[in-house]
Amino acid sequence: MQTPKEIGAIQFGLMDPETYRDMSATKVITADTYDDDGYPIDMGLMDPRLGVIDPGLQCRTCGSHSGSCNGHFGHIELAAPVIHVGFTKLIRRLLRSTCRECGRLSLTDEESEEFRDGLTRTEELGEDWTDVLKSAVRQARKANNCPHCGAPQHDIKHEKPTTYYEVQDVLAGDYSERIASAMQPDEDDEDDAGMAPSTLADQTGIELQRVNQILSGEFRPVGDDRKKLEKALDVDLTEEDMNKLMPSDIRDWFEDIPNEDIVTLGIDPNRARPEWMILTVLPVPPVTARPSITLDNGQRSEDDLTHKLVDIIRINQRFMENREAGAPQLIIEDLWELLQYHVTTFIDNEISGTPPARHRSGRPLKTLSQRLKGKEGRFRGSLSGKRVNFSARTVISPDPTLSLNEVGVPERVAREMTQTMNVTERNLERAQQYVRNGPEGHPGANYVKRPDGRRLKVTEKNCEELADKVEPAWEVNRHLIDGDIVIFNRQPSLHRMSIMAHEVVVMPYKTFRLNTVVCPPYNADFDGDEMNMHALQTEEARAEARVLMRVQEQILSPRFGQNIIGAIQDHISGTYLLTNGNPHFSETQALDLLRATSIDTLPEPAGEEEDGRPYWTGRQLFSELLPDDLNLEFSSSTGDDVVIRDGQLVEGTIDEDAVGAFGGEVVDTLAKVYSKTRSRVFINEVASLAMRAIMHFGFSIGIDDESIPEEANEQVDEAIQSAYDRVQELIEIYEAGELESLPGRTVDETLEMKIMQQLGKARDSAGEIADDHFTDENPAVVMARSGARGSMLNLTQMAGCVGQQAVRGERINRGYEGRTLSHYQREDLSAEAHGFVENSYRGGLTPREFFFHAMGGREGLVDTAVRTSKSGYLQRRLINALSELEAQYDGTVRDTSGTIVQFEFGEDGTSPVKVSSNEKDGIDVENIADRVMDAEFTSDEEKERFLGRREPPTNLSEYAGPGLDKAQSTEVESDD
Amino acid sequence: MNRQDRRAVSRQYFSQERLAEHHFRSFNNFLERGMQEVVSEKATIETDIGDKEGEEPVYVELGDIRVETPRVREADGSEELLFPQEARLRNITYAAPVFMEMSIIRGGEEEEEVVVDTTETKVGRMPIMVGSTKCNIHNLSDEELVEIGEDPVDPGGYFIVNGSERVLMTSEDLAPNKILAEYDTKYGDEIQVAKTFSQRRGYRALVLCERNREGILEVSFPSVSGSVEFVTLVRALGLESDEEIVHRVSDDPEIVKFMLENLEEAEVQTEAEAIETLGKRVAGGQGKNYQLKRANYVIDRYLLPHLHEDGVEEEEVRINKAFYLCRMAEACFELALQRRDSDDKDHYANKRLKVSGDLMKDLFRTALNKLARDVKYQLERANMRNRQLTVNTVVRSDVLTERLEHPIATGNWVGGRSGVSQLVDRTDYMGVLSHLRRLRSPLSRSQPHFEARDLHATQWGRICPSETPEGPNCGLVKNFAQAMELSQNIEDEQALKRELASMGVEGIPGIEGPDPTNTPADD
Repeated sequence: MQTPKEIGAIQFGLMDPETYRDMSATKVITADTYDDDGYPIDMGLMDPRLGVIDPGLQCRTCGSHSGSCNGHFGHIELAAPVIHVGFTKLIRRLLRSTCRECGRLSLTDEESEEFRDGLTRTEELGEDWTDVLKSAVRQARKANNCPHCGAPQHDIKHEKPTTYYEVQDVLAGDYSERIASAMQPDEDDEDDAGMAPSTLADQTGIELQRVNQILSGEFRPVGDDRKKLEKALDVDLTEEDMNKLMPSDIRDWFEDIPNEDIVTLGIDPNRARPEWMILTVLPVPPVTARPSITLDNGQRSEDDLTHKLVDIIRINQRFMENREAGAPQLIIEDLWELLQYHVTTFIDNEISGTPPARHRSGRPLKTLSQRLKGKEGRFRGSLSGKRVNFSARTVISPDPTLSLNEVGVPERVAREMTQTMNVTERNLERAQQYVRNGPEGHPGANYVKRPDGRRLKVTEKNCEELADKVEPAWEVNRHLIDGDIVIFNRQPSLHRMSIMAHEVVVMPYKTFRLNTVVCPPYNADFDGDEMNMHALQTEEARAEARVLMRVQEQILSPRFGQNIIGAIQDHISGTYLLTNGNPHFSETQALDLLRATSIDTLPEPAGEEEDGRPYWTGRQLFSELLPDDLNLEFSSSTGDDVVIRDGQLVEGTIDEDAVGAFGGEVVDTLAKVYSKTRSRVFINEVASLAMRAIMHFGFSIGIDDESIPEEANEQVDEAIQSAYDRVQELIEIYEAGELESLPGRTVDETLEMKIMQQLGKARDSAGEIADDHFTDENPAVVMARSGARGSMLNLTQMAGCVGQQAVRGERINRGYEGRTLSHYQREDLSAEAHGFVENSYRGGLTPREFFFHAMGGREGLVDTAVRTSKSGYLQRRLINALSELEAQYDGTVRDTSGTIVQFEFGEDGTSPVKVSSNEKDGIDVENIADRVMDAEFTSDEEKERFLGRREPPTNLSEYAGPGLDKAQSTEVESDD
Repeated sequence: MNRQDRRAVSRQYFSQERLAEHHFRSFNNFLERGMQEVVSEKATIETDIGDKEGEEPVYVELGDIRVETPRVREADGSEELLFPQEARLRNITYAAPVFMEMSIIRGGEEEEEVVVDTTETKVGRMPIMVGSTKCNIHNLSDEELVEIGEDPVDPGGYFIVNGSERVLMTSEDLAPNKILAEYDTKYGDEIQVAKTFSQRRGYRALVLCERNREGILEVSFPSVSGSVEFVTLVRALGLESDEEIVHRVSDDPEIVKFMLENLEEAEVQTEAEAIETLGKRVAGGQGKNYQLKRANYVIDRYLLPHLHEDGVEEEEVRINKAFYLCRMAEACFELALQRRDSDDKDHYANKRLKVSGDLMKDLFRTALNKLARDVKYQLERANMRNRQLTVNTVVRSDVLTERLEHPIATGNWVGGRSGVSQLVDRTDYMGVLSHLRRLRSPLSRSQPHFEARDLHATQWGRICPSETPEGPNCGLVKNFAQAMELSQNIEDEQALKRELASMGVEGIPGIEGPDPTNTPADD
């Protein structure tokens, strides 16, 4: 196996044509690929010296076979230089800033020096030096004459993509006509009598004879004469002349640029010479980079790059022939342009202004730059992201019988994903059995590997035979079996709990099964969600996954330092029903409740019923799941104080605050004080017990559960009516102009606020009235109280009054002019005209209320839709910015270059999952110390001795503290 | 209304004919009048024949257009009526042949104009909406439909192209030819803008009238880069005197004050000067005559094109354009003075729906232009080779057919809009019904556009408050309410204007008011 090489640095520069030739395996002169026998043509595009792709052939350069030979570059000698499209901007910049005669930079030495300093300075500061470069070019472009040789400079016009012109003002061809017409008297203007040639001669100081010659077109006035004439007659005698710069001209020009000058332009002369931007030799990529594929019918289909190279060679050949035959300049230029076009599209086929080179079918060719660019390009598509082997994806569904550490894997997936098994004497029989089962049978094997490295596919036919051959030192790729560790993931992977390791349980059917308690960390539900699974392929990966990534290791979330896995929904309703009011259970009932847990003996009964049968209480049964030495006191969201003493729930109701995901006290404590394994067992069993409990009691909700008695309805109506009255009062005050505005608000805003306040109160009191009429057994109340699902607000809306509908935090104000709906008068400020829904969901909304409710509801929908896309993008940006930060062993957080970002991780060096979740008493040192002591020492005596030991202080001056005789070790420590 | 009555009304609205009613009305209207309108707009196809010396010019006159009902041409050349189910099963297009009268006319230069050839020829095939008047199953009874293998409860309202059923999505655009006043910010300052999307015959021009932070009004419209001073522009349009400009904007003293500021800043005083200044803007650096020509052209062509009308002199329209601009100015000032609120773009009064017929009209217009270009080319080629010029040889019917079918098949409409036609959702019957009554806002779904996505109170009774997709299209894709009625454009604008004129409205170009001479200019 090849050892990986470490890349020290990457430097980008231009390549010398000589280097192209040196590294070239062969010169390519033939545009054909294969001869009639299907053998690659010598010095053709598929020359065997460029590497081999057909199996069995040998590379003529390195001697290796296909697969191990990376391929070798060849080269094409271009008949004429052509411009490299990737550098057109730089070429333009160089043309504009250097002298056309001597090639020197059109800056004085001092200026040049200054810009060079500027470059080094910005580079030292680690800033972007493009601004300095640009200003240097701008400065150099200004020069009309070269400061070194004095030659006049012309402006350069760049016609995209690869044509450059020198623009100069020359005397127009019709100069005599222009002068003559300027000398004619203006017909409209009577004062203008025109100008006689003699006057012109006087004014310009040109001899009259010369002037006449000029007028007759015999003499061309150039230089000063021209300027004088232009001034005297106020005409423009010039026209722009565009002189095309051929690539060879540019190359000659660039060759003259001295090394010192290009430094100022930001080019390192050691790595790049400007003339190398004009190609004279074209490297031919190795065959391995443009493999041809053999179609089913035996025809070969070549890669796009090969097609393009064929074009280039053909034109190159024609160019040379034509030139040798002495073809006219026009034809040569056309061919040159054609060659330029082909080389350009070979490099980049998406240049604006150039028609893309197309395949015969009309599809644009995918050439070099298209291979690299964009989402599907080499960088984003092949290097940063790839397709993954040993991964599976399917729909998820719940299975409460699984442990939270497990995942149900469909057999079909298990048969596809394999684990490598090294055969030894001890597992030989198992390995043989796997192979014998073949690829179709479950636990089977798909491949075996012989010690000589040969891989054999296990098929239904050869499996028996192969199984007998398996010996120690073979490798068997066996199917996934129960207990294997796999990685399980749901996108979007927003936190680390989105990717966790699970143990496999192979199951029938086609979905991944998972315990419902792991839904919160994955944010999964079963409405069609799909998840990915990855089978791990190395022992290290499996070990790491098992130790660090298993679900039970992720019970505590680093996001808020408390458990993210715990009981949810019906589990919470279940424990609530079980422990609230501490109901009694007979022996059968108690055993039934506990039967899904690992508890197989009942505790002593709590007492006896009147008829003498023993009974157990709900709290007692719940306590069976707790460790025997757990002591915990907290107040639950239900409102009572929960007391757990020595593993017995003495008092209180178990609800969301006790066992729920997102910070259930009991789960949290178990995970922190006991072990992850203990808390995993607890969560599993609570879930099972709770499901039994909720089934025991029965739990359902219907529309009648939200009904309140008629008198309650009247009370609600009354409450709302009185709110209406208060609103009306407010409106009257406002209309009388007596409403006092709140600080920082206008009167209108104040009114709105006050109305909203009143209406909010109305809904609340409606809620209270409704609440008073609900019994504690009401399932909706149970769910809301226990925190299983829903809130009292939901209940209020169902039974009491839906309340004010709002859009962007305000009452509904938009709509028709001056009113919301056409059902109301204009400028009606009343509650109902602005979206107050006085009915309850149970009672039914009026059409208008329904519409207002839809308006408020729409806002919510839009909000979620917009937020998800926004948060996804924000997440992506955050990850990109933070991905390379790493906490080092010294506690600092550094980026890849070693720059310290934080001196201590999180500025405090603590892991959120290791600190107490209770903010008021922080870390309970006392308690922890006691626990450590208990574990460390068996007898109280030893403990006493340890605690009583007094280490003498070590950092005291010998003159302070106890006398020398008592401080034995002061000398040794004195260097503090 | 009691429950029974409501139920009866509801049934009526949910009846067979009502479900895709808006599609039928729109498409039938297109077939009956829209197509002919487009042809009449085009009227002639000019050619380059006659540019050379001694050659007589040739042009083509377009006459009446006629659409048959869908039929299919078999390999043996026979032509048969085509029914939708057959089109679906055979993966062919449910389209009807279109015939047009065309006359090739030569002469006019030296010789007299001679009609060389005049024929009604097949110019192409028009995809026909299932259930429209030109559809072969139109007005068939349920029994007859069953007899020929059609589904009697199918709502229709879609096209069949290459066997796939495509609905044209109704699109919801901002109302054209309406002044909308809004606040905007420019360089950090709040400014007032009055906007009008002026639309005529498929040409859409946005005219903006801005009141910048100095209080100067500026107008921008297509083909002029940047903006032109309001006063300059109205003077160029022939509203010359200070008094009249102010009066036409408003008589409100505060607005008059604002207007005086503008007049003081004005660069020009006369119409001629104004046109000259405009000329410099639109054709800077060119010859003076050209500048003037260009300025006049730009004013008549690109500024508020919706005020033009057939048979009305351009000069007459100009002053109306000036008046219109004055109204825009007034809107800006009123906004600045907080006399009015900014217009609500999401108000349904400011929305117009483009239904299948309108979309097909756009398509047919470009297709006809393409055909015209092809006819021109064919004519010139035939002329070069000295062939006899006949209508039948120069019209290639594939050109129009291709231009009509391809956009419907792919959804890539003219003007770069995509997704205009969609495959009918046949998940279930309800899916079809919902799909036929769906409408789409052209706003980009990637931007938040919170306000546009809101359920607006004016959608009451028109748009379903509940049915909108979740996700990126939320609130942008909507569905009609059950009892929605879609009103259509008036058929005869001239009649409307005459009616208005008889009621005392003045200044409608091309229409004589009751007594225009006696009434004074104001009020």
